[in-house]
Amino acid sequence: MSNPVHKKSDFIERSILSALAFLKDATLSEEYANRKGLLQSLDPRFKTISFFAFLVTAVSLKNVVLIGTLYGLCLLLAFLSSIPVRHFLVRTLLFIPLFSLCIVLPTLFSIVTPGEAVWSFNILGISAVITRPGFDGALLFVVRIATSVSLVVLLSLTTRHSELLKVLRVFGVPPIFVLTVSMSYRYLYLFATMVENIFTAVKSRVGVVSHQRHGQNIVAWNIANTWNRTTQMSEEVYMAMLSRGYTGEPRLLSAFQATPKDWVWLLGAVIICASLFYRGYTL
Amino acid sequence: MHIPDGYLSPATCGVFGAVMIPIWTVASKAVKKTLSVKQVPYLAIGAAFSFVIMMFNVPIPGGSTGHAVGGVLVAVLIGPWAACIAVTVALVIQALLFGDGGITAIGANCFNMAFVLPFVGYYVYRLICSDSPAGSNRRVIAAGAGAYVGICVAALCTGVEFGLQPLLYHTANGQALYCPYSLNVAVPAMLVSHFLVFGWVEVIVTALVVKYLQKQDAVFFKGGRF
Repeated sequence: MSNPVHKKSDFIERSILSALAFLKDATLSEEYANRKGLLQSLDPRFKTISFFAFLVTAVSLKNVVLIGTLYGLCLLLAFLSSIPVRHFLVRTLLFIPLFSLCIVLPTLFSIVTPGEAVWSFNILGISAVITRPGFDGALLFVVRIATSVSLVVLLSLTTRHSELLKVLRVFGVPPIFVLTVSMSYRYLYLFATMVENIFTAVKSRVGVVSHQRHGQNIVAWNIANTWNRTTQMSEEVYMAMLSRGYTGEPRLLSAFQATPKDWVWLLGAVIICASLFYRGYTL
Repeated sequence: MHIPDGYLSPATCGVFGAVMIPIWTVASKAVKKTLSVKQVPYLAIGAAFSFVIMMFNVPIPGGSTGHAVGGVLVAVLIGPWAACIAVTVALVIQALLFGDGGITAIGANCFNMAFVLPFVGYYVYRLICSDSPAGSNRRVIAAGAGAYVGICVAALCTGVEFGLQPLLYHTANGQALYCPYSLNVAVPAMLVSHFLVFGWVEVIVTALVVKYLQKQDAVFFKGGRF
């Protein structure tokens, strides 16, 4: 027989450890960013600007076919960048778009969105009517979100994270912010490992967490302990920075170099966005 | 509470981006004044800490996800302006590298979680704890209350942002172009879930962490470190 208390504590542990595993995997792998492919060969600055343009286009368009065209482009780019399409679809569709679909489900029905009926049926003797504005609105919402998420994930998968963070300078973000973001990113993996080690240590000493209150205490102690260790670490990090020549003014190394290919790519992206905007305006 | 791309119109995103620019500017000036050069890594580590706290999120009906943000906790520990930068950094990393929270919605997300939440929570904390001793229970209660009020006000802001979309952006036949629920659905959905569930998650995390830190190193609450 299953023990509900155990199940609850297992859930806390599993959710935290799986989140940590995802974080470690995402920060370390960069497997796709190191592959040879179309997007990987582009200068990160040009790639980020073009993807931002695609994103703004996807969010601004009001026609599902035009947004679907951008989604199709996204899949094509994933294929040309050596990303397995199945992996890409799972990564992009399973979370936010699926969740958004659940959110908009009630808006399909006449009780929430009145209008022309496109399909009516009975559930447990209750008549349900799906309306045209409800269906069109829900479809537009989900396709737009799926496209937006796909664009961001594609950019993130095909660019080394350190380079992607450095690109923030192109958008005029002050160096102190970029330095903080870059440093912070480096600590994520360390923190993930630290939290995981604490959980393993607690489990090896007290076995499973048997009570919800006990579980809360362990999580809180874990966070407090992480904070304490970070304050100690900050002193050491500062000394390490000083020993490497840090003078108080952040400097970022930039090794980006644009090629004609990057300019052609950017021009192509601008033409695609302008065409979609024009088509959306004339429809 | 993270708003993904596509939930808010580009105009709404633009407005919140514009609102956040002066806030970030003031925050960086304030932090430059209060934190020494030596504490730059501390800010980065604070951001990573905030990121780790926010990783544990749960979907809720009505538009988004709920989780402990840790914004009030970070504000209590390093001050509200530094917390504003730390949470902003965490949100930027989440949006850019992990697809959690939209890139176009970064202004709105930062307004809710990096500005409203730490500031409201911090001032509620200050109001309740007043000049109480560093190791007192009153500080634990104040931190918990600040966390609860902070996250609920931030959830209210998120609900209003969602709820305004169908009123402002729809087609001629009334079809919503962005988040489809109006204020009478979006605001209660965000508020009820945070009043009943996620507000308490924030309270438990903040109050217990403050309690543990009091036991280990009360200097955090004496203003000795900063």
